[in-house]
Amino acid sequence: MSLRKFIVDWLDLRLGVRDLVEQNLTRYLLPRNINIWYSLGAVLLTLFGLQFLTGFLLLIYYVPDTTQAFASVKHITNEVPYGWLIRNTHAVGSNLIVVVLLLHMLSALFMSAYKKPRELTWLFGFILFNLTLALCLTGYLLPWSQLSFWATTVATEAPGAIPVVGEHVVRFLRGGAMVGEATLGRFFALHVMGLPLLFALMLGLHLFCVRRAGISRPPFGRDYRPAPKRHSFEHEYHPGGIPFFPNYAVKEGAVVCFFLALLAVLVFFAPNLFIPPAAFEPANPFVTPERIKPEWYFLWAYQTLKIFPSEAMGLAVQGAAMTFLALLPFIDRFSERRPARRPLFVGCFVLGILLFIGLSLWGHWS
Amino acid sequence: MDIKADDINRRRVLLGTLLGGLGAVLAAAGVYPVWRFLAPPATDEALDQVTLFRDQVPLGGAHFFNFRGRPAVIIQMRPGDFTAFSAVCTHLGCVVQWQAAEQRFLCPCHAGLFSADGAVIGGPPPRPLERLAVSLRDDRILVG
Repeated sequence: MSLRKFIVDWLDLRLGVRDLVEQNLTRYLLPRNINIWYSLGAVLLTLFGLQFLTGFLLLIYYVPDTTQAFASVKHITNEVPYGWLIRNTHAVGSNLIVVVLLLHMLSALFMSAYKKPRELTWLFGFILFNLTLALCLTGYLLPWSQLSFWATTVATEAPGAIPVVGEHVVRFLRGGAMVGEATLGRFFALHVMGLPLLFALMLGLHLFCVRRAGISRPPFGRDYRPAPKRHSFEHEYHPGGIPFFPNYAVKEGAVVCFFLALLAVLVFFAPNLFIPPAAFEPANPFVTPERIKPEWYFLWAYQTLKIFPSEAMGLAVQGAAMTFLALLPFIDRFSERRPARRPLFVGCFVLGILLFIGLSLWGHWS
Repeated sequence: MDIKADDINRRRVLLGTLLGGLGAVLAAAGVYPVWRFLAPPATDEALDQVTLFRDQVPLGGAHFFNFRGRPAVIIQMRPGDFTAFSAVCTHLGCVVQWQAAEQRFLCPCHAGLFSADGAVIGGPPPRPLERLAVSLRDDRILVG
């Protein structure tokens, strides 16, 4: 005990750690009616941390070369001690991240946390969402399997439908006419360096916004009132709230543990749930496997492209939907945040989810 | 029934110990696979034998090869007389060169000199070059 006190005293004198802990943890108050949905950010931080760690470990044995990539991944999975654990955690973890990310976004939408003054928080979060999808896509190519090769072929083919510049965009993405060594090189560089750096920057901005503006009060309960109009910056305090540490941190820890347990169950008992058989054959540029489908989180986009008569139109619709979502806080400017008083919004919200699920299932079974 | 402060303290200690123990077990479960993942593969080096062909080693010259993950050298001073050494200098681990004209090994890092039978003839090396077992079978040379 005295050693601990000595270390804390030493640090306190130099950095004022006791004050930091009080300000950010023990006396940092959250709204009394804060709910479990607010902990998904911490879950994402944990899962992304795990991706960073496992990805870093995989880099030690992975070889980004078309003649060796598949064998190196096979070597990791089958021969390196616990390689299967590191690799499956990385692959399954990415899918779980997309699930939690969607839940995190849905909760922010449902509770209208994106509204003024938190437009920037939403915007940076939306960019993080897109970066995550880009990380998923670039990571998919690296094992150089049949699945990797053809999924990337299809994904990089899509921009070809853009009028005039389409062909150039496709060539630029692939680094050549077809998916090949050049594509693997640039996707590898993006996956391990470019996108993670950008991601870290955006994450920093996102968290800064959250911390600076203060946690938004959940729009529920009898005492909830919409915030009065503000004309200058004001941090949202919650007098009489619950301390972040230990009260809410424990709750958050429990939710984090739940998702880690889910990840462990998937990794140990269903590692191939998200990985179709085509992922176990080395890439063959001359043979397209039958019934090739994108990952579940891209199925809606895949199906949209199939529905519309022209690919350009399908892409335009997707682009419009994503742009609308990104700019939602600037479009939806009413200060009312209670879902019960926003029937139009809630209607669109539910329809949006049903549309996403419907299109994905349609894409899956078609 | 009233609860004494002593009891609460004991409960705290018990709870703290349990949580700490659980945390340690979980941490070990995480660290052990990572440690094994990173550890270099164990190889049964003692059994590795390297096979060379006689015509790979020129008369009066040297042939460098890989022996149990380290550089090694074999020389043929007289026809059919093969001698093999670890090519790692005993001073600071550089790889020696064969100087055919002088019939000796030179370590380029600190000018250590070894004779053709591995003995130190000059410079800082503290020990002779490590000698490797050589046996002949038909046109092949087995080292190790």
